Amino acid sequence: MDFQLLFSSIQVLLGLIFLMVVVNLYLVFRLKEIDPFAKWNPSLLNGGGFFAFYIIGMVAATVSTIYYYPELTLIVNPASEHGVEIDRMFNNTMIVTILVVVVTNFVLFYYSFRYRTKPGRKALYYPHNNRLEVIWTVVPAIVLTVLVFDGVGVWHDIMSDPPEDAIQIEVNGKQFSWTYRYAGADQEFGESNVTFINEGKGNELGINLDDKRGYDDLVTRELHLPVGVPVNLNIRTRDVLHSATLAHFRVKMDAVSGITTNFHFVPTITTREWRERTGDPEFNFQMSCQQICGGGHWNMGAKVVVETMEEYQDWLSSQQTFLATYQGTNPDFKPDQNMASESEEGTEKIADAGL
Amino acid sequence: MAEATITHGGSTFHDEHHAHEHHEHHGNFWTNYVFSTDHKVIAKQFMITGIIMAIIGIGMSTLFRLQLAFPDTKFAILEFFLGKWAPGGTLDPSFYLALVTMHGTFMVFFVLTAGLSGTFSNFLIPLQIGSRDMASGFMNMLSYWFFFVSSVIMVASLFISTGPASSGWTIYPPLSALPQAVSGSGLGMTMWLVSMTLFIASSLMGGINYITTVLNLRTKGMTMDRLPLTIWAFFLTAIIGVLSFPVLFAAALLLMFDRLLGTSFYLSDIFIQGEVLHYSGGSPILFQHLFWFLGHPEVYIVLLPALGISSEIISVNSRKPIFGYKAMIGSMIGIALLSFIVWAHHMFLSGMNPFLGTVFMLFTLVIAVPSAIKAFNYITTLWKGNIRFTPAMLFAIGLVSFFITGGITGIFLGNAALDIPLHDTYFVTAHFHLVMGSASAFGFFAGIYQWFPKFFGRMMSARLGYIHFWFTFISLYCVFFPMHFIGLGGVARHYYSNTGFAFMEGWTDVQIFITYAAIIGFVGQLFFLYNFFVSIFRGKVASLNPWDSNTLEWTTPLHPGHGNWVGEIPTVHRWPYDYSKPGVKEDFLPQHIPAEEVEYEEGFPRPATTPSKAPTTPLKVEDVGMEAAEGKE
Ligand code: HEM
Ligand SMILES: [Cu+2]
Ligand SMILES: [Cu+2]
Repeated sequence: MDFQLLFSSIQVLLGLIFLMVVVNLYLVFRLKEIDPFAKWNPSLLNGGGFFAFYIIGMVAATVSTIYYYPELTLIVNPASEHGVEIDRMFNNTMIVTILVVVVTNFVLFYYSFRYRTKPGRKALYYPHNNRLEVIWTVVPAIVLTVLVFDGVGVWHDIMSDPPEDAIQIEVNGKQFSWTYRYAGADQEFGESNVTFINEGKGNELGINLDDKRGYDDLVTRELHLPVGVPVNLNIRTRDVLHSATLAHFRVKMDAVSGITTNFHFVPTITTREWRERTGDPEFNFQMSCQQICGGGHWNMGAKVVVETMEEYQDWLSSQQTFLATYQGTNPDFKPDQNMASESEEGTEKIADAGL
Repeated sequence: MAEATITHGGSTFHDEHHAHEHHEHHGNFWTNYVFSTDHKVIAKQFMITGIIMAIIGIGMSTLFRLQLAFPDTKFAILEFFLGKWAPGGTLDPSFYLALVTMHGTFMVFFVLTAGLSGTFSNFLIPLQIGSRDMASGFMNMLSYWFFFVSSVIMVASLFISTGPASSGWTIYPPLSALPQAVSGSGLGMTMWLVSMTLFIASSLMGGINYITTVLNLRTKGMTMDRLPLTIWAFFLTAIIGVLSFPVLFAAALLLMFDRLLGTSFYLSDIFIQGEVLHYSGGSPILFQHLFWFLGHPEVYIVLLPALGISSEIISVNSRKPIFGYKAMIGSMIGIALLSFIVWAHHMFLSGMNPFLGTVFMLFTLVIAVPSAIKAFNYITTLWKGNIRFTPAMLFAIGLVSFFITGGITGIFLGNAALDIPLHDTYFVTAHFHLVMGSASAFGFFAGIYQWFPKFFGRMMSARLGYIHFWFTFISLYCVFFPMHFIGLGGVARHYYSNTGFAFMEGWTDVQIFITYAAIIGFVGQLFFLYNFFVSIFRGKVASLNPWDSNTLEWTTPLHPGHGNWVGEIPTVHRWPYDYSKPGVKEDFLPQHIPAEEVEYEEGFPRPATTPSKAPTTPLKVEDVGMEAAEGKE
């Protein structure tokens, strides 16, 4: 999008408007006798102004909507199954609301213009009309009921319990980056808690070294997802609130200290396919943070890769386990000595967090 | 024209002048202008303080708009204003958040809550219901001074070395609780909380006064179903405020405990800056529930007065009764009630139980119905009217347009499933700036243009008003409408720069456009400021009823003294919206004209006077103001 020219001309235009206003002011306050605006009819000027505003505004809104529509990431090209439903509902709501905005604003501005005062006009004494009022209570109520029921259905599906076979991935927020944890070969996460965090020793997620289920966990900086299967994000934070957001997938959920929240979905398109479709070889999905969290909030991102199941498995097996990384930084760490407890206690609770 | 009909007004004019003169000799500067208990003076104090806070608040937005549009450019002006927070002209990312936070706080609480309600509820309630003053003039004065101190503390927090609060106007913990997380959460946040505590006290004292006054001090004949819609709006606003602000106080108090005493109401399991904090068992979501229990009603606290003001102005200037008076009251009551049970629609994705989301989605979309009714009623009031475009009328019509365009996106956001992509993007910013920010600001402007003659006895320049209106109207649409696109493009709120994410970067062009529009809008406000301050001293002297209005405030003398009316308070004989009544000679019929004195067109049969409706409400709670006014005679 190169708008240089447009913006330069807007600047010039604005400069001119400003000049005009200054001149106008000068006339108002200094030269009342030769005021060229004295004969202007404020009623026509303002009433007409409203109507003109409506026409110009509508044209501008329509043109820019058509122009920008393909780039509206949040409502075109959903990359997840439930995203299709959300976008469908968005479009329905859009049709209804555009209709309302266009018509009511039209009537508002048109009436302002049409019924502007003129000598001899007398207003109609019209204090109420029950029939009309019932109509515009009932019609919006019906339309909203339809939208609500649609919304409740979709919301319920999205927020239902994750399917049994969903791939569990832990999303960890901190100021100002995301870290992911995969359960590893045993399909179970080791217990973790802020009290176990030891950054100097390379245990930034606070994985309990006594819990051997954590040894094969994979701690990564990138989020990799296999296409076409359900994944469940278990979202946590170790400090302030964050919000795990995957714009292309219509995914968003706050990370809340003290609890684990979750969001499950099915990605439907791989990064490669997306690149081919958009012709942008550099493209990557990204996770952003959309809950204000401090100075680096604007930059708290991570790369997200959607790939085929095989690629995903390959990638997983290429990652170092937590134990391997930990021993890398702490060569004297002997896992066996730490096997004090093998109990199932302290199992990471991954459940809908409720309040 | 005005004088011809309002015989009372005309004849009392001179008497009053004496009284007024007298009044000046009584009391001294301090009791008359500073620690005054006269609701009109207090209203002006709120207005001026509100305007100053607005200048600071809007000024801050201009600074951060520069950053958003030109993330890589250095601006000497930023360094000039912000010093160490913008070294070399590049804004510090944490201070960007501080600016946004303070902008939001100033605008929402100090300008559009205290500034708007404080000014117009104070000014119009006694004048329009026919009362000498507020129920408690003293508490009213306290209300202003609490607000004043609260403003001073909030402004002072801008200048401390760790910077002001910077966790958003919603101050969600843990960010707001931990100075380690952002430096603004140190002293800055403490000052924010202290300031808001005083603010809440101010708002409660104001609210209790408004409610009591409306219920008890109406003049003879002023039944509840004859109240102007302005009063209904202020009344309901006050009720909402009195019921919801205390909850914010509770929220703030617990946050204070967490910060200062080490309790764990909102905090749990936190590791920050290399250490584990001792907090455990608290819930950040609890804070959000408490905050939004006020926060959602708050948006209506901001909007309802503006809607009331525009109802009055649209009716007067269309020369028509407001369409569906009862429906307007009904929908305002509906909004007031529903506004208490929709708060968690701000929290669909906060981690609360999704089932709650379903419940709140239902209520939220119900609240759109009374809102729709109001919009339609405004439009029907214009239909077949005789519309006079005073500046106040322009702003009132602009308000309706913002209300529609901004309110409609609530239907998207209120739908929990649609809120998943939209939450915390610029789409939300667009929504609430149009429906709350712009609409309420227009209510404020409309009110000032309409009642300036009553405030100061002089007229503002209409022509400057027109210029101001068009500047503001166009620039606000140019600023906030494109934000829908940015939001749908995926750009998050509260971002210092769009350059952190590839899919957001492309929207910088639009950010530039918005910034230009915002600067122009800001410049446009200079017309208002000039007009306002110059007209106070040099404006054309106003006539007694410059807009040919029906309501009681225009029956007071040009410069009403403390006590408002000289002699008896007028009695009310009809509702306030008899404009262009068939057969009546003038196109307005003030509330205080008895049926026998109404002038009819020639040949129009005078309707048989029905036995006048007996006053139904307890009246005449005479207060200090009354005695003072009489004492002067
Ligand atoms: C038609 C009725 C309305 C509905 C259904 C509605 C719905 C919503 C929803 C669901 C949100 C939360 C969006 C999000 O954060 O994701 C929201 C935000 C907001 N709305 Fe509305 N709204 C309506 C009208 C209004 C009105 C009349 C006002 C103000 C006078 C208003 C002011 C706000 C504000 C200030 C926010 C943003 C709060 C924040 O996060 O900082 N809304 N609205
Ligand atoms: Cu974050
Ligand atoms: Cu709300």
